[in-house]
Amino acid sequence: MKETKRSLIIMALAWITSLFLVSLVGAYYYTEFQKEKSANTAYVNMYNNLLKNYTSLLQSYTKLLNDYNSLAQSYEAERQNLTYWLQQYESCIMRVNICIDYGNGTILWYNQTIVPLGCNLLQATRMVALVNSTYWPAYRASFVDAINGVWNKGAYYWMWYYWDKDSKTWKYGNCGADLYVLSDGETVRWRYEIPNYP
Amino acid sequence: MKCKRVAVLTVMSAVCVGIQLTPRPPNVEFTSFICFLTGFLFGASFGSLLGALTMFINGFLSPWGFAGIIMPFQMVGMALIGFAGGIYRKLLGEGSSVSKALNFESACLAAFLTLVYDIITNAGYAILFNLEIIIVLIAGVWFSIIHVASNTILFGAAFCRLVKIVGSLAGENL
Repeated sequence: MKETKRSLIIMALAWITSLFLVSLVGAYYYTEFQKEKSANTAYVNMYNNLLKNYTSLLQSYTKLLNDYNSLAQSYEAERQNLTYWLQQYESCIMRVNICIDYGNGTILWYNQTIVPLGCNLLQATRMVALVNSTYWPAYRASFVDAINGVWNKGAYYWMWYYWDKDSKTWKYGNCGADLYVLSDGETVRWRYEIPNYP
Repeated sequence: MKCKRVAVLTVMSAVCVGIQLTPRPPNVEFTSFICFLTGFLFGASFGSLLGALTMFINGFLSPWGFAGIIMPFQMVGMALIGFAGGIYRKLLGEGSSVSKALNFESACLAAFLTLVYDIITNAGYAILFNLEIIIVLIAGVWFSIIHVASNTILFGAAFCRLVKIVGSLAGENL
């Protein structure tokens, strides 16, 4: 084969090769472009959905915030109202501590029990427990028969004590519970026991 | 065949297989160059046989792992390159001297033959994974470009010189 012809054929082959490779590169970039385009469309859709959700969420949040503010305002108004009434109320109440000792190891404390001013022990006890009592006209006093369903039985009776702040000991009450008027901050105790009255 | 030629052919085969099995950057190889050179110096049949044999061994011992179903395609592709070396020598004609102009021609041929090799092996890959061949070619275009470019540079830079060196070793006066 002549040199020129051979060279031409070989150069043509090289040219075809380069053309083929260039077209492959073009196709590669085209497919990449298509992939990116479809991905871009997907991302735009996702973004739009996200934006819609975000807007909806923001609206819900705003509504919730308004509700919360409204509720907070109502709460504040109610609190002020209650504070006012509590202040009014404080002038006619007192707080006492009541203990009920069932004598079997069960001891219940009702601390800071709010009772009206001038309240007696029987009335205060009725506020924290179910009390059965009998009024004795001869003594002009009531006698407690049962507290919370535990009745006086045999030698066992419900006796009451008050806490003597000076001697720091419990002392027996010396009158009927309805005759003993409580004072603010006082501590009293009911005890189911065999009386050991001095 | 003279003893010298047999010895040189043996060395060429050993070098070809050795380099092919050596870890190297993907798609940068010397096998097609050596097969083409072998075909050029020892004839198309030797070139194609060396190409097929090298890729057969490569199919099992390649640092990239077992070639699997692609191996026959690699063997055919490399055999074609070795065969083309022999045909190219015939096209040049008997008694033709090796000039530097051949570097350009061989570089052009290398580009074309490498592309043909890539098309054949990619066809094997497409059959293996049941894909469209054009898809496989497009996906592997950068590997093909590296392969074609490296072979074009290698042939263009070294073909003429190595033909002279190896030819003189084999007792040819080129």
